[in-house]
Amino acid sequence: MRPHKIRILYLDDEENNLTSFKAAFRRDYKIFTTTTAQEAVQILTDNEIHIVISDQKMPNISGVEFFELIVPDFPEPIRMLLTGYADIEAVIDAINKGQVYRYIAKPWNEQELKMTIENAYDVFLTRQQINEKNEALEKAYTELEKFVYSASHDLRAPLVSILGVIKLARTENPDNQSMQYFQMIEKNVNRLDSFVQNIIHYYQNLKNGEIISAINFDNLFMEVLEHYAHYDGASEVEFKRSVNQSGEFNSDELRLKMILNNLVSNAIKYRDPNKSDQYFNLTVDCQSDKAVIEISDNGKGIDRDSIGQIFDMFFHKSEDNVSTGIGLYIVKEAVEKLEGTVDVSSEPGQGAKFVVEIPNRS
Amino acid sequence: MKDQMNIILVDDNDIDIVVNTKLLKLANITDNIVSFNRCENALDWLAENHAQGGFKDNVILLDIQMPGTDGFQCLEKYTQLSEEVKISCRVFMLSSSIDRGDIERSEANVDVIKVLEKPLDVYLFKRLLAAESL
Repeated sequence: MRPHKIRILYLDDEENNLTSFKAAFRRDYKIFTTTTAQEAVQILTDNEIHIVISDQKMPNISGVEFFELIVPDFPEPIRMLLTGYADIEAVIDAINKGQVYRYIAKPWNEQELKMTIENAYDVFLTRQQINEKNEALEKAYTELEKFVYSASHDLRAPLVSILGVIKLARTENPDNQSMQYFQMIEKNVNRLDSFVQNIIHYYQNLKNGEIISAINFDNLFMEVLEHYAHYDGASEVEFKRSVNQSGEFNSDELRLKMILNNLVSNAIKYRDPNKSDQYFNLTVDCQSDKAVIEISDNGKGIDRDSIGQIFDMFFHKSEDNVSTGIGLYIVKEAVEKLEGTVDVSSEPGQGAKFVVEIPNRS
Repeated sequence: MKDQMNIILVDDNDIDIVVNTKLLKLANITDNIVSFNRCENALDWLAENHAQGGFKDNVILLDIQMPGTDGFQCLEKYTQLSEEVKISCRVFMLSSSIDRGDIERSEANVDVIKVLEKPLDVYLFKRLLAAESL
């Protein structure tokens, strides 16, 4: 069932055609007719029209010209051109330019025309629904954007405030017992903070375009490693790095950082405390067309059942209480944005190795 | 006294002000610290300090997210101060925001030396001040 009668505007310089059109269809549709383009525009302004039919051959304006005139202000109605076969080139041209949905040959066959009108109205409704869905999507997207922005501040601000208080408390030499409590609090606040940060990063990766700049891997590695130097357990792990870069390498620094941050923090999180020589190795081999980044450690490694799933969102093993389940997902997403690849290999108990290849965007 | 460094904290969060004031003092950066919850009060203080021939090395740590005048709007007002006032000032942004837009917008401002992340790393800050001394 349709909510309204289909509303049709029909423009033709020949009154006879208008009259016979009305006679044929007035019971089924709400019909507006006129012989001038000016009046047609007025009708479009005053009424919500679904379908516009225009004759092609008129003394002051052609049907195609009339459509060109109304499209900017009235893009929604479905346009149909009424014409004799002699004008076939104009019709083909108009259809190709997307100005006309169908053409109707004169004289029209009532049944065929009715069918064409019904089809045109279906197209109208479908387009309207798509527009409504698009608007709803856009709204949801804007709201998500606002949410992530406020999350980046309203959720993080109190967390970093707590971290500041802990830092201060530590500096003022508390007793051992209190120090231990502060460490427990700090550990959990850091965990929550990295989860919030990861959510924000995930969204930034999704939303932002690429910003390509020259990458200095030496500086980049230094920055990332310095950031993790104070991380829980980092002092027990030896960071090793080697950079082989002679030429210029261009990529998106923010996404490279997302990738490195997550891989480095994992190497620290999943270190093997039972080993005396805990380490991880961060290397890059910069070639002219790509950079091959390797990060390998002698940590706990990844067991065979899990290795296929580690890049999935919110995957974590039941006995793993440090994972937020989003870090490696971000790595995968960021690598994909950079049109690179990431591979993992691991020997459980021996360690894990991630190999990331990123193309050079020179 | 007047040649010493003076730090001006502009932050709506009182806990952050207390913590940062203490951390800056403990790190021996300076004992001269004034703090404001509102941008306008800080700018008024700067003008007054200049008029009275006060501190000549003023380091401003400006929070980005604040109710009322936020950090960006505060920067706009700061820009309008006279050159004589600004010549004695160094501005750092201090924020918990990791929003790429916020950071880029701050770094694009010529008056901003650097964007620092909360919680303030006082030792990094000390190094920056030494490298960026007037």
